[in-house]
Amino acid sequence: MSEKAYISVEDVAMWYPYHGSDSSSHKKKGEKGKDWIKAVDGVSLSIEEGEILGVIGESGCGKSTLGKILTRLEKPTRGDCLIGGVSTKEMLKKNPKEFRSTVQIVFQNPFDTFTPRDTIEKILLRPLKNYKIGNNDDERRNMCMEALEAGGLRPAEDIMSRYPHELSGGQLQRISIIRSMFLKPKFIIADEPVSMLDVSVRADIINMLLDLSRNENTSVMFISHDIALTRYISDNIAVMYLGRIVEYGKADDVIKNPRHPYTQALISNCASIDPDEKVESIAIEGEPPTPLNPGPGCYFAPRCQYACEECKKKYPEKVTDENGHWFTCIRKEQ
Amino acid sequence: MEEILKLKDVNVTYSNKKKQVYAVRNATFSIYKGDSVGIVGESGSGKSTLAMALLRLHNEKSVRIEGTAEFEGKNLLALTQEEMNAIRWSGISVVFQKAMNALSPVHRISTQVEDIYHVHEPKAGKEEIEKRMVNLLKLVNLPERVYHLYPHEMSGGMLQRVAIAISLLHNPKLVIFDEATTALDVVTQGQILEEVVQMEKEMDMTRIMITHDMSVVAASCNKVAVMYAGEFMEIGYVKDIFKNPMHPYTQGLLASFPSLKGENAKLSAIPGFLPDLSKECDGCIFAPRCPKATKECRQRKPKQTETKDGRMVKCILYEGGMSNE
Repeated sequence: MSEKAYISVEDVAMWYPYHGSDSSSHKKKGEKGKDWIKAVDGVSLSIEEGEILGVIGESGCGKSTLGKILTRLEKPTRGDCLIGGVSTKEMLKKNPKEFRSTVQIVFQNPFDTFTPRDTIEKILLRPLKNYKIGNNDDERRNMCMEALEAGGLRPAEDIMSRYPHELSGGQLQRISIIRSMFLKPKFIIADEPVSMLDVSVRADIINMLLDLSRNENTSVMFISHDIALTRYISDNIAVMYLGRIVEYGKADDVIKNPRHPYTQALISNCASIDPDEKVESIAIEGEPPTPLNPGPGCYFAPRCQYACEECKKKYPEKVTDENGHWFTCIRKEQ
Repeated sequence: MEEILKLKDVNVTYSNKKKQVYAVRNATFSIYKGDSVGIVGESGSGKSTLAMALLRLHNEKSVRIEGTAEFEGKNLLALTQEEMNAIRWSGISVVFQKAMNALSPVHRISTQVEDIYHVHEPKAGKEEIEKRMVNLLKLVNLPERVYHLYPHEMSGGMLQRVAIAISLLHNPKLVIFDEATTALDVVTQGQILEEVVQMEKEMDMTRIMITHDMSVVAASCNKVAVMYAGEFMEIGYVKDIFKNPMHPYTQGLLASFPSLKGENAKLSAIPGFLPDLSKECDGCIFAPRCPKATKECRQRKPKQTETKDGRMVKCILYEGGMSNE
């Protein structure tokens, strides 16, 4: 990874203490210390300015938790995220307002994102007022109208006077993206922004996100379980499994030439809309395990078809090829 | 080929004193033995309503069902609930989206399976039922011990597999999967789809797959029926329609899915919104959003047209044998 990355996520971890019944604890009787659910366990990434990074993985692999840490909705157990060389931890301590205008998030469910009792106008004016953008309400209102029209929400006047429940999911998600872009953030986290929407409006939202990121040169982390869609929007893709990134590289590289056995299985099981594109799907044994005390050894080893004794002893080192495509598996060559 | 289900002019209308919602309109098509038909459409297009109507699961006070749906010589839509009970499970069975909610949380799987088995085989003994169910569990790659578990002891994928196994308990001739894999992870979904396709080969069953995900249809069905606002727009073989969609709506729907490994073409959305289903519509229901709509489209309803490759398309463009340009 380059050293001058614009956004650099450094060894971020999120461990939740586990208060479960003893039977599911992995500890022997009398052993001391807490059990931890390691939702995110040492993730390091770098994102360039204007880059879109896709994060894929099964549910429960920690991709949403990672998004929450980066927006500081959760305080990570360890690690930090630097934006333009400035620690977000420090930034949040000194000037929380500045941090909130630097990092923004778009959530999965547009119906839960907005206060149901406020009109769209009130919802959109609030961030502008809080950050003293524009001189007076009229000016701010004009800014909102322009943004709405630019986002394809016409007539803007009509939309402004409506309440969230009077709009469709696609419209709300667009407003959610518009609102998150108002403060010209440097980094947007989009956590499954289209999974609740109908397919025919999905493309609109995705293209809008792409355009905005291109025009404003904003970095985006696109979290999704839809692999084909992630490949479409992203420059780079990171594959997560049990709180760790197991593979990272250029989007096309990862999808067409996956190196980690987990990525291979994930992609082989992903149905394509081209009926000719039949691939032999690789079965993964068992259910995704809980991130409760995984390891030692490779986390994927218990389900991996290639696993050997060595895999169960030590978490594998990162293997990088010349294109910056890396994965964590001891089998360097297939 | 033998027709297993034959729909003719099926209309399903939800109504109360104030208004009527035309959820399914003029559904006319046949399903043949051994077919696996994917019904795709956006939310609100009437896919689930149609399945519920076929199984007569609606509260019949608030719903008006017209037309005929012939299954084994009987019109499903005219039977009494008692006659329908004889067909449920053994003739047609259904797997719903949320298997977690389909099973009772306070009973073991074994108790629930026995209940269902006794519906049609009231004298069956416990061992016989267990033997049958364990066989089915094997088909969906679950271990025997699952039979004695409670639903909360299993993951979503396992429960969905249990629900699929239960749906096969009485050797149904037709199984309806209503978004049965939607709530699952890609890996689990991929595996279950593969198991289902495999099972079908062994058990000679016919399947209807209701989903909004075109890729699920591509992976697991041989025919596809595209629904929009309660009407079937295009029905035909998967290999024909996915390669060469004829109806403008199918074209739009396919263009809004990115390809996994193929070329990264720009995604395009279908402009506009679903129409208000409580209004009668004179012309083609898709006309307001259709890029190819003409004046005629807004004035009269298109007829169902058969094409050379055996598909049905409901669009004025293709009436009179015009070929696909």
